[in-house]
Amino acid sequence: MAGLAPAIPIMKGSAPHATGITGTGPVMTRHDEGEIDGMHSQDAGGAIRAGSFVNTISSRTTAPDMPSLRPSISLDRLGTVIAILIGVALFASPFVIFRANRIVAGEGRMLVDALPPSGAIGVTIVALGVALCAALARAPLIRLAAASVGLCVIFPAVGWSAGFVTPAGNTFARVSPSLGFWLLVLSFALLAADALTRLRLGPWARLAAIAVAAGAIALLLSSGAWDDLSLLKEYANRQDTFWREARQHLWLAFGSMVAACLVGLPLGILGHRIRRLRTALLQVLNIVQTVPSIALFGILIAPLGYLATHVPLAAALGIRGIGAAPAFIALFLYSLLPVVANTVTGLNQVPATVTDAARGMGLSARQRLWQVELPLALPVILAGIRIVLVQNLGLATVAALIGGGGFGTFVFQGIGQTAIDLVLLGAIPTVVLSFAAAIILDAIIDLSRRGS
Amino acid sequence: MIEIDHLTKRYGATTVVEDVSLRVDDGTIAVVVGTSGAGKSTLLRMINRLIEPSAGRVLIDGEDTMSIPEDQLRHRIGYVIQGYGLFPHRNVAENIATVPRLLGWDKRRIADRVEELLDLFQLDPAEFARKFPHELSGGQQQRVGVARALAAKPAHLLMDEPFGALDPVIRSKAQDDLLAIQRRLGTTILLVTHDMNEAFQLGDRIAVMDRARLLQYATPAELLTRPAEAFVEQLVGTAERPFRLLSLRCVQEALEPGGAEGEPILVTDSLRDALSRLIWTGRDVMPVADSAGALVGRVSVKGIMEHGRSLA
Repeated sequence: MAGLAPAIPIMKGSAPHATGITGTGPVMTRHDEGEIDGMHSQDAGGAIRAGSFVNTISSRTTAPDMPSLRPSISLDRLGTVIAILIGVALFASPFVIFRANRIVAGEGRMLVDALPPSGAIGVTIVALGVALCAALARAPLIRLAAASVGLCVIFPAVGWSAGFVTPAGNTFARVSPSLGFWLLVLSFALLAADALTRLRLGPWARLAAIAVAAGAIALLLSSGAWDDLSLLKEYANRQDTFWREARQHLWLAFGSMVAACLVGLPLGILGHRIRRLRTALLQVLNIVQTVPSIALFGILIAPLGYLATHVPLAAALGIRGIGAAPAFIALFLYSLLPVVANTVTGLNQVPATVTDAARGMGLSARQRLWQVELPLALPVILAGIRIVLVQNLGLATVAALIGGGGFGTFVFQGIGQTAIDLVLLGAIPTVVLSFAAAIILDAIIDLSRRGS
Repeated sequence: MIEIDHLTKRYGATTVVEDVSLRVDDGTIAVVVGTSGAGKSTLLRMINRLIEPSAGRVLIDGEDTMSIPEDQLRHRIGYVIQGYGLFPHRNVAENIATVPRLLGWDKRRIADRVEELLDLFQLDPAEFARKFPHELSGGQQQRVGVARALAAKPAHLLMDEPFGALDPVIRSKAQDDLLAIQRRLGTTILLVTHDMNEAFQLGDRIAVMDRARLLQYATPAELLTRPAEAFVEQLVGTAERPFRLLSLRCVQEALEPGGAEGEPILVTDSLRDALSRLIWTGRDVMPVADSAGALVGRVSVKGIMEHGRSLA
């Protein structure tokens, strides 16, 4: 899936402040916040890293030099690695982990012990078939089909395995996917991503692909095939809080993004026109960007607490020293730099001849902005919004630390209880959302590049 | 008619255009030539008020440009620049429709006008209307640029190095096309270039500028025979002078009675072309035909030489 999101240049052009973002994504730079935040930033940053990782690999495999002793059968390099991974997953790693209850250490179950004999044989045959395709098949469509079949088999299989391994009537036992399953997922996903990259799908095809993937996941979850997995058992226990936190998470991430656009776009336009404002603005926002998120939450507690106690209206609006308000404000502040910087950069790279011709033909300043400058800057501005969205979906996890809610609530509860399934209940939706946001916005960015 | 009246532009202590006055009559082409930094573009851009003059005024058909709101003024004056500045996110038809759309023409009228212009510029509407600028060659982009400037049927056209980005072969064809279209539409054109050949090929009158000042504004022939200053003489090129003069004169002027061997030349062709062909074919005389193809006389090397001397 990651291959769907080719690493796009975040900013081009001349803005000297751009380097802060282009070098390393803001999401990835924030490693200095202790272990807790480090975990989330790996998750969110993974979307970008995995994408470039796959791109590098696929570009290597497509290199023409492929020395082979037997020219009739040539081995694909990435495919060989994938095939080896599949072998390790099948024969040397536990497929699931069984635990007597949700917090004790578990014991691994190899595939043969994790499924009834027919199921174990079926999964093994399918996985070996995928490995064979990965190593030998050249056509990307065949490789994609093989990967899809593989994913369609192992996802239900792990749910089936959970039901099979759990002793009947035991509600305390927990079964979760283990190394073997994750390696299979990784191998198939790599194969699919590589095939998708080679197919060079257009934006609409990519949107269709993600819609299909989302549909498949929804089908899997609603069918009940996974209900015996520990993750879904954690979900079942927290069904209503899960959706409340999901709404809160989305509200924090999208709300702060919309607010940042409403403020950042005009600021960027002004900054483009007035050089001195631009310099000052970008410097301030760059400094904000370097403040670690937990520190920023801490910094905001004092002024917001003061505001809440002294301004009745602020308190009535729900503004407190801790909670959603400081989280929202912090996310908003982090979002401003990408929006403003990319707006400035996007407007700066509109060719001077184009604006000169537009003026010479009698387009007013407003007409030039709406009809010429903004449409031409749009792909760069959207690239900024993409950064903001992926960053916010990840950062919103940290909001739970100051009572801001969101998926982070489960992550931190899970860490407190050493219940890794609960951590995953918060982390997996965050990662999936970031992936999806990156892919969808990349497609939109491509669609916005009219006539180039 | 464009009248420039004592126009001056200063930036601080630097004067970029100093007290320039000239008039471009209806339906004629005036070419401003000069070295780079001479103030040509600034002069041009003060006409549609992209640059506000420090002193002096510009009259368009007798109307002071300062009395017209600047956007309206620019809707009335076509504008073509080097590189054309086509909108990359709009296709050819949308680019050409820019000013008509600003003026609120209805859709039907805009579509008709776009098609008419594409035909005029020899771009097949079926093929080119939906293309984006980056899909066009340099020559095609140039034609779309001029078509866009002419879309709202302006009586006046300002062109700043409109052929500067073209290679020499396409450039000369584009110049011929512009001349043909200008003669057909009767547009008044003020064109800026640093290319003397272009000036002589297109200009009814040529304005020579150097270091912010207008040195001479005259017909091409006058510029050759009576250069006002040494700089003009140098710019015109003393060695080129006889050939430039001959290129301004048509065969008709040196027509002699009688016939001759070989392929005839048209009476409307230039004496320079005639001489060139005589040299190349190794003949002393060649027949002359009118536009219908009927032989009307002959032209000789000797005759051209004598006529050329009389011009100097």
